[in-house]
Amino acid sequence: MINELLLQFAEWLYNTGGSRAIEESFYLYNWIETTHVLTIMLCLGMLAFVDLRMLGYAMPGVSASTIADRVNVPMMIGFVIMFITGVLLFYAKPVYTIQSIWFRIKMVLLLVAFFNAIRFHRHMKASESTWHNEPRAPLNLRISAALSLGLWAGVVTTGRLIAYDWFHCYRDLPAWLGVAAGCVAD
Amino acid sequence: MELLPFFEWAETSFLGYIGKTYGGVYATFGQSIHLMALAVLGGSVLVADLRLLNVILRDVPSQVVVEHAHKWFRVALIFILSSGVFMAAAVAQRMYYNDFFWAKMSALLVGIVFVFAVKRPLLKGDHSQINPTVIKLVACASLLVWFSVAATGRWIGFSG
Repeated sequence: MINELLLQFAEWLYNTGGSRAIEESFYLYNWIETTHVLTIMLCLGMLAFVDLRMLGYAMPGVSASTIADRVNVPMMIGFVIMFITGVLLFYAKPVYTIQSIWFRIKMVLLLVAFFNAIRFHRHMKASESTWHNEPRAPLNLRISAALSLGLWAGVVTTGRLIAYDWFHCYRDLPAWLGVAAGCVAD
Repeated sequence: MELLPFFEWAETSFLGYIGKTYGGVYATFGQSIHLMALAVLGGSVLVADLRLLNVILRDVPSQVVVEHAHKWFRVALIFILSSGVFMAAAVAQRMYYNDFFWAKMSALLVGIVFVFAVKRPLLKGDHSQINPTVIKLVACASLLVWFSVAATGRWIGFSG
């Protein structure tokens, strides 16, 4: 049921003028994709430094909360650009993307990364006065930082794999994979 | 010097064979690692250069930031080069005829020479002894060079 609704929504998006305009424009689509890819340097590059600081591998002599606070703004700017360009890329190819198992895994990983980030910030703010000058963060924050690195690595990998149609609906897929990928019987 | 025979050999080498035959290995060990390394490399360039431009981490000495960013830059560069060689080997002959591939290689060479022959020797000393305008110019040049490397790299996939 949910897959049918998602597909109908994707088909409606596909038939809008904006969607066709982006996909059919060589330069517009490719520059949106380029911007999406390049902002991983701004967003994930900065995030990696925060996580590596928590793990004690980057700037251990600098207060962890200072690093987290100071790189937060450029990191969020990167995230917003990444999010907007990501939505536009989906909008350009909604039917293909909604039935990509990689896109679906990417969305789940993004959701988990989002909740992990909230948990991470909550714990960091609650306990920073006791450890922020230490070379390594407490264990629970180190776990969150390692999880963050792992989850974003998964987001990057699955994002890249969306381009590959190994498990797309027009392939011969096992039933469970067809359901997971959002395939709908004709 | 004629480079085509080298590219033809690269495609028939072990790396080229693996990348060509196993799409999953090419996409994960090549493209995904390349992108993750790009994130860390870009992050280290941005952290260092935005600090030199007094945009972020203004209350942390620039020498400390630049020094630590450079460590991660080197790690990321090793991964970028390794995964890049693996990816290029699989499609070596196509790369030979791709203008963006050569643009990226040129930008990458300029970037590496710039970092190890200009930026690094200059910023190794006490930053307070260096003309602030020179520091800012070096940061801007660095951002420009590495943006060019990343952008031309992405456009390899869109051309040819």
